[in-house]
Amino acid sequence: MTDTTQAGASKIKLGLFDMTPRQVVLMRRVPVVVVSVLVGFAAIWVLFLADRSWTTDTSAGSAIAEPGEFLVTFLDGLTFAGLLFVVASGFTLIFGLMRTVNMAHGAFFLFAAYIAISVQQKMVGKSRNIESSDVSMLDWFVPLLVGATVAAVVGVLMQQFFLRWNQGQDLRQAIITIAVTVILADQMLFQYGGLAKTMTWPGDVVHFFEIFGQRYASSRLFMFAISLVVAVALWVWLNRTRMGMVIRAGVDDQEMVRALGINITLVFGITFFVGSFLAGMGGVMGASFSGVALGTDGQWLLNSLIVVIIGGLGSIKGAVAGSLLYGMVTAFSPAYLPSDYTFYSIIFTFVILAVVLAVRPNGLFGRTE
Amino acid sequence: MMPTNSRSLAVAIAFVALVLLPLIGSDFFVDFVMTRTLMLGLAASTIVFLSAYGGMDSLAQWLIFGVVGFAIGNLVAESGRGLKFGWEPWLAVPVALAVATLLALVLGVLSARSTGIYFLMLTLTYAVIGFYFFGQVTTFSGFGGMTGIDPPDFFNGEPRRLYYAALILSALAYVAFRAIARTPFGMALQGVRDDPVRMESLGFNVQVHRTLAFTLAGFVAGLAGVLNIWWNGQIDPTSIGINPTLDLFIIAVIGGIVHLEGAWLGAFVFLGANIYLRDIPVIGNIGGVIHDRILAEERFNTVVGLILLVIMLTSPDGLAGMIARLRDRLRGRTPDDEDHLIDIGYQPTSKTQLG
Amino acid sequence: MRSTTTKRAFSALVGLALVATACGSDDDSSDGDDAEAEEADAETAASEAVDDAETAASDAVDEAETEASDAVDEAETDSTEASGDDSGEAASGDGVRLGILAECEGPFGGFYEDNVAGATLALVEGAGATVNSTTTALDGFEGAEVAGTSIELVGIGCGDDTPDRAIQEIRTLVEQNGANVVIGPLSGDEGTAVANYALDNPEVTFINGIAGAQETTLHVQAPNFFRYTGDGAQWNAGIGDILVNEAGWETAAVIADDYGFGWTSAAGFTADFCAAGGEITSQVFPPLGTTDYSSFVQQLPDPDEVDGYFWVVGGTGTNAALEAFLNAKGDLTGDQHAGNLFFSPALAEALGTDIGGAYVGGFASLPGDIQTPEIEAYLASADETWESLASGAGGGEVGPASVATGFGFGYGYYAAGTALVAALEEVGGDISDGQAALQESLAGLELDLPYGTVTLDENNQAIVDTFVAQLVVNDDGEVVQETKYIVPGVDQTFGGTYSSETDPPERDNTPCEEKDLPWQGNEIPVVDGVPES
Repeated sequence: MTDTTQAGASKIKLGLFDMTPRQVVLMRRVPVVVVSVLVGFAAIWVLFLADRSWTTDTSAGSAIAEPGEFLVTFLDGLTFAGLLFVVASGFTLIFGLMRTVNMAHGAFFLFAAYIAISVQQKMVGKSRNIESSDVSMLDWFVPLLVGATVAAVVGVLMQQFFLRWNQGQDLRQAIITIAVTVILADQMLFQYGGLAKTMTWPGDVVHFFEIFGQRYASSRLFMFAISLVVAVALWVWLNRTRMGMVIRAGVDDQEMVRALGINITLVFGITFFVGSFLAGMGGVMGASFSGVALGTDGQWLLNSLIVVIIGGLGSIKGAVAGSLLYGMVTAFSPAYLPSDYTFYSIIFTFVILAVVLAVRPNGLFGRTE
Repeated sequence: MMPTNSRSLAVAIAFVALVLLPLIGSDFFVDFVMTRTLMLGLAASTIVFLSAYGGMDSLAQWLIFGVVGFAIGNLVAESGRGLKFGWEPWLAVPVALAVATLLALVLGVLSARSTGIYFLMLTLTYAVIGFYFFGQVTTFSGFGGMTGIDPPDFFNGEPRRLYYAALILSALAYVAFRAIARTPFGMALQGVRDDPVRMESLGFNVQVHRTLAFTLAGFVAGLAGVLNIWWNGQIDPTSIGINPTLDLFIIAVIGGIVHLEGAWLGAFVFLGANIYLRDIPVIGNIGGVIHDRILAEERFNTVVGLILLVIMLTSPDGLAGMIARLRDRLRGRTPDDEDHLIDIGYQPTSKTQLG
Repeated sequence: MRSTTTKRAFSALVGLALVATACGSDDDSSDGDDAEAEEADAETAASEAVDDAETAASDAVDEAETEASDAVDEAETDSTEASGDDSGEAASGDGVRLGILAECEGPFGGFYEDNVAGATLALVEGAGATVNSTTTALDGFEGAEVAGTSIELVGIGCGDDTPDRAIQEIRTLVEQNGANVVIGPLSGDEGTAVANYALDNPEVTFINGIAGAQETTLHVQAPNFFRYTGDGAQWNAGIGDILVNEAGWETAAVIADDYGFGWTSAAGFTADFCAAGGEITSQVFPPLGTTDYSSFVQQLPDPDEVDGYFWVVGGTGTNAALEAFLNAKGDLTGDQHAGNLFFSPALAEALGTDIGGAYVGGFASLPGDIQTPEIEAYLASADETWESLASGAGGGEVGPASVATGFGFGYGYYAAGTALVAALEEVGGDISDGQAALQESLAGLELDLPYGTVTLDENNQAIVDTFVAQLVVNDDGEVVQETKYIVPGVDQTFGGTYSSETDPPERDNTPCEEKDLPWQGNEIPVVDGVPES
């Protein structure tokens, strides 16, 4: 898709009115200045102004007064961002190469989670109240791999049977994946019911430690470590392997890759496998982190969308930036908004999104094609 | 108006049939199925209008549709949640429509720079913001929503009148959208759809055209929203959640997103599938054979999904395109005639190259 | 007669719509070059097809052979044939035409079987119905009759937890299938929507399933809408009193979902806890859709700053919020935690064995440890009726039918069905005159149900016995619920705190004041499953 108005035109139009280039430059600065002021204010707010008892009445004290609360909130944001990245990177990978908006991404997330939970229950030999002391590392990683692989296979099947034929028709593909989602969701409701299910962390990672007097769980750091591994592996794969280079080249120019005699169909299949695998992996991690139920699929599709819209569709770098921004806003807004307004923290998240898009319509790292 | 071609004639005949329908149709069929078909068709036609003439695939139409409902609810209701202004229902209509049109204008300005799939996702996030806004801001509603919103006395307890109102508004919108396509504005809009760069260099302001089209579509979606709140009597945040948002889009797409009348056709088929499909015992029986109730009546969502999948796999331009190809085959023309190979969605790249 | 005309009209419309689109598909672009060239051709096709469409089932439809329209067409035939006549009023002389409104999608979609089984069981017991299948309640029943009036199941509505859908389903049941009595719905906001619909349709009787919004009865006050179960606030009556006077809490923090049911449950607890002399020091309302609860849990006071916490977080939030608490604040201990019905081992797997001793608010049916002869007979009759059911209460797995009916989602529908049978008996099967006699009888029933006797107040809202349970660790090391007290005679107003004049419960509009409540101090202790009365 193109934003030709900016790339190709000799005369630039930014707002609704014709402007001279000088005015355009000034106009372009306005949102940047506004955003800088807002970010600056937020930083000063969190650092100095926030106060539990004083007029601002936030639930956490300022970072200077309460470093522990600040650090914990920061870690919450960071670790949640890790999970967001795992899920969203799969989404953005598929979009980047194939221009397919995979609306079934959330359904794959949920499906993998359900599979992994059943596998874990089989391995532990208990169907309810699994305690983390019952769970060894193997009892967690094997279900993770099984669940994610099943999601990946379903993803590849969907791509091969339903999407391969209409490559390039974004809307049609999006609707096809919606249809797959409708079917998957309905069958999952039938198979697994509506109650929430949880995956249990392995006992080895469930410890607690103190940061400035605040209790913190190592399982969250474990989750973040996995996300880091995923991020590094993705980077190496895309930048240091032949396959990765083909994919990156394909993102830039599919025709060229095809002309070089590369089997792009195979590359598409592999990318879809990896993208869906990441959705599934995120699903298993999410199931351990907060549990899953019907409806979680839609929520995570939305999470992925937010991350990639902020970061820029198709950009892994953007997925990192988007996850971090989204994760931080999710963590900081309930803690540092005045307590009468913490209910609005979700709306606040979307306001951030709108602000980003007002400045950069294609996201932080989205390319203007 | 003199029918200028066969299409208009057929639409005119369909209109007459719909006018006469209450004489033969059952109450449920007219007041529930068809009234709703017309309302949803009207709302979906704004998606088709934006997509077919403006190249904008919008998921925000249902939001605007819903905002009108909330606005009327807040202005009219005397008790319950929200502002409880207790206005006369007719008085609330222009205000609510003004709110909706203004919202459409603002959203249009914000998204006029985005195109293609980006536009789709941007409008999706607007829809989600709307959901959370009305869910969380209890001043206007809260998750419980607003109930017991009465229509004006003229429509109260008179479902037939509402049916005709929906029919008249649908007809007006249809005529207006088609007429607009032939005005200089409409021509320019289609030019913008096909080749924004060239239109830009010809001195057309691309973003103004997009924004105005979006605002107009918002106004029409708002009209459908007025009918809906009078018909339904209640609205809550889940009414404008992600599922109904996608449903409306699916209606537009299965109808055939390049054909205006496809919006109503899509609404009819979608509602029909949702209302009548479950009553088919065959589906339940298949379920019994395959695997315990995997396709049973209560799993009709699976069937709806399968139908959607089949339509999308076999016909890129939905039912309308399917029918067009079928007609060609009946007439002995080759099915792959170029004029029917209209891809759904907006593909500026290829068209730019052609231009 | 009617069904043929409907079908004809329907086919004609399908035909016309198809024709209209077929003819119009070439000239959508602004220039429409080839439209004229085709005009004559298309016109012939159009008029032919229109003729066809008008005569009978249109050729256009047959030729189109699109699955959708065909299927719709068939469905229309089926449903109209099945229901015979489509107006509700005309059917009222023939007997009770029952519609059940349950949920087959959305968060409670797994309880579809439970809901229908509950209502069906009441008719099996009281109206001599026989079920059509012994492995699912969804296939319906036959031969139900009370005092010479037959009860026919005309449809099962499938909601998805949204009021809009509930209204569409109820309209289909009433206006299409001709239901004149409806049992349902399942959840709060749906209930309010249905009660409003009831206001406009006085000739149809509505009996609530298990929906628990307060305003459904307190504010809407539809004379033909009856609720034989408590609302979300009533279910939490008594627990505040117990926590203050038994567990010694003076202060509490509340964490509740930010929507109607969360607010209502929290309001019931607040009213009760404050009435007994406690104080709510902090309230946190995480929005629906929250994935990471850690920042919200951070807002709660630390364990040494408050006597205890009351949890009202449902769905995926239950585990996520409890996990977040474990991670940030410390272990979940029985003496510092309590919650509403979500705080049960079945729903909250994150509750470890340390939670033993925690108090839990009530729901419609009692925990499994109480075994009175009535309850045993009730559960046994469910198992006699069905070999097995895939119930939501059993986690979607196939199991004994009593699992489904023993849980609130099935039991609420059972209560509704039982009320219908009892009222029909009382009026001798008279459903004439817009069901006036039936509705009057329903309003005045004193209904003996397995889990307690129920009467209705002037808003047709049940005055119920609810309970307070305690989480205990059983011999197998599993956390289970044990009934601790039965709280008798809980009404909707909480001693005047709520009335039709007060707003529905919101985040913090329940005043915290000490006052006397009718059940205060009158809770009946339960020891080893036997009430000590």
